[in-house]
Amino acid sequence: MKQEALYQLILVLIIAAVAFVIFTATQSNLDRLGVESGIDFLWKRAGFEIGQTLIDYDANSSIARAFLVALLNTLLLAVTCIICSSIVGLLIGAARLSSNWLVSHMATAYIEVFRNIPALLQIFFWYFVVLRSLPDVQDSVVMLDIFYLNNRGLFFPAPVLEKGGAWLVFSLLVSIVLSIKLKQFLLGSARGFARFVPVMPLCLLLILMIPFLVALVLGLDWELPQAGKFSYQGGYVFMPEFTALVIGLSMYHATYIGEIVRSSFSSVPRGQIEAAESLGLSSYQALRLVIYPQALRVMLPPLTTVYMNLFKGTSLAAAIAYPEVISVFVGTVNNLVGQPVIIMSLTLLVYAFISLCIALFLNWYNRRLGIITGARS
Amino acid sequence: MNKQGKQRWGRALGWVRLNLFSSIFNSALTLISIAIIYFVFLPLFDWFFIDAQWSGSTPQDCPDKSAACWPFIWARLDQFIYGFYPQTERWRINLGVGLAVICSLPVFFRACPHKGIVVLLLSLLVYPLIGIFLFLGGVAGLPYVETSQWGGFFLTMVTAVFVLITSLPLAVLLALARQSTIPLLRIASTSWIELWRSVPALVVLFVAIIMFPLFMPEGWDIDKLLRALLALTILMSVYIAEALRGALLAIPREQYEAADALGLGYWQRTCLVILPQVFPIALPQITSTFIGLFKETTLLLIIGLFDFLGMVQTAIADPGWQSQGVSATAYLFVALFFWIICFGLSRYSAHLERISANAGNQHD
Repeated sequence: MKQEALYQLILVLIIAAVAFVIFTATQSNLDRLGVESGIDFLWKRAGFEIGQTLIDYDANSSIARAFLVALLNTLLLAVTCIICSSIVGLLIGAARLSSNWLVSHMATAYIEVFRNIPALLQIFFWYFVVLRSLPDVQDSVVMLDIFYLNNRGLFFPAPVLEKGGAWLVFSLLVSIVLSIKLKQFLLGSARGFARFVPVMPLCLLLILMIPFLVALVLGLDWELPQAGKFSYQGGYVFMPEFTALVIGLSMYHATYIGEIVRSSFSSVPRGQIEAAESLGLSSYQALRLVIYPQALRVMLPPLTTVYMNLFKGTSLAAAIAYPEVISVFVGTVNNLVGQPVIIMSLTLLVYAFISLCIALFLNWYNRRLGIITGARS
Repeated sequence: MNKQGKQRWGRALGWVRLNLFSSIFNSALTLISIAIIYFVFLPLFDWFFIDAQWSGSTPQDCPDKSAACWPFIWARLDQFIYGFYPQTERWRINLGVGLAVICSLPVFFRACPHKGIVVLLLSLLVYPLIGIFLFLGGVAGLPYVETSQWGGFFLTMVTAVFVLITSLPLAVLLALARQSTIPLLRIASTSWIELWRSVPALVVLFVAIIMFPLFMPEGWDIDKLLRALLALTILMSVYIAEALRGALLAIPREQYEAADALGLGYWQRTCLVILPQVFPIALPQITSTFIGLFKETTLLLIIGLFDFLGMVQTAIADPGWQSQGVSATAYLFVALFFWIICFGLSRYSAHLERISANAGNQHD
């Protein structure tokens, strides 16, 4: 015990000494370079434009707001990539398990090719080669007279929310509450509806349908993209940077998800499938009620790692100047105000915090699954 | 057609029916797959290889048609490999790569005497020293070559090897600290690992480039490349430490107790009993971590260092080569390079895993 106490004391002293040296050195360096300290710069006028903004922002907004815009762009990219890569990964995993020789070998080839090429290189390929070769603004590809595709991005109509926006949000909330109630009813019902009703798809359909019907009844106005001098104005746009990142990152990370899906489904013992068949369950029922719940438990822990890697991977966006946290905050803002210590610390904190949130959420979900299945067995 | 041929033909048809057209759904999938191959894969293959311009080494050799332009690669190959390393000094890189191959030979021979110690000595001490003197120069009549002139394939390989060599010992220490019975040491190591694991590699690189110089007392100046390498070392050591932690947990308690019963101290127990069992278990995950790192060396181009991809990116911008297909060809070339190395490594790791699994089965 004495020895342990001594080791701990030495450790504390070493950490304190290193921290002291770093602190004094940084202090004197900052003084020498005449760098201001503190976070007052956050409330100054930003003075630069950002290419993609989800909330109101212009050059007169504060730097803090620019940071928020960048953070939202990062989150938008991360969420889009997580959804897309999950869908592609699920398809690829299912294809690998297929009894069809051609399909399973093509899925294997897909995984082996895209997993072993750096994500940054794939993004560059989509951005500099594929999307650059799209037509100029003057020769845009027009689809249905409302979609415009050119090398500035994909332009599409935006709903005007001033008129019925509040109703739309309200109906969305109502539909979410309703679908949760429906799920509880179906799963809790003594008649066992859950056995032959696809619960999750039904709930998702409900969430989408109600706002859609409300929008149909209210008759939303749509703002169409208008041809301007250099680009289209109005409506929404997928920037080519965003598109390249979504395609590149999703295809890269989908290879990992595909492998996880395959290994988790093949980890379910053969006997479980045979037992489900002998109970007279159809193959859909066997998949939904017997195999999927068991595979999901195996799937979640490695999936957490992939989602966190994907979130961290969104930082590659800085390489093609998509306005996310690193390119806006570490790049533009740092050049503007020159306070690297505060800026880097804030960036580290934000990334660490969001990673922590992802990990906590998925661990919570994992535990919840474990308890339910544990109680049943 | 004779009888044997007919039988073979029948078997082939049976295979096709069973594996490609067993149901309507499967037949549809097969047709879709064939369509994908025909409309996506074949045109790409044509574009890159069949229609491509292969010979020559000047921009005029690339006709203005839409196809791959390999003369660009031939013309810039030296630059891709050696970066901005001075022409007359490039033999040093060739020699260094040759020495690396020789030094890594003992790894592949199972019958090498004292394999563990020989490999450790060569990789941790002998080769790094040779490499530093050879590549950096400034001693024994070799002219000094600044690290800002390093680039291309050479820089990518230096990064990968440097980070692997430096991060392994660090990772062992971190993993042991995380399992330690000393509470403060455990907490310090755990928070260090979790902090760096939760932030993107690019942020760590920016910390090293922008923030690290401010931490140093005045007058201390650490080379930019070295700072980036240290950042990657921190990251890699943290990831390997996690792999080792998993393997450490897989070691049965009895092994510790047996070592204690033999009267071994902590370091003897760790080095002679525990670690030799940990590494084989952790090897597959260490390899996949290393493959991940190898792909992440491309991030160096974002912080202004010219790794392989960075070099290619610079070369593409050359206004002399503006034929269609130059950049696509160059990216394909880089992709092939990374693919061969990463795929090879993952196969090698799977091979090692099979060997150790077989050895385990024979013991039982």
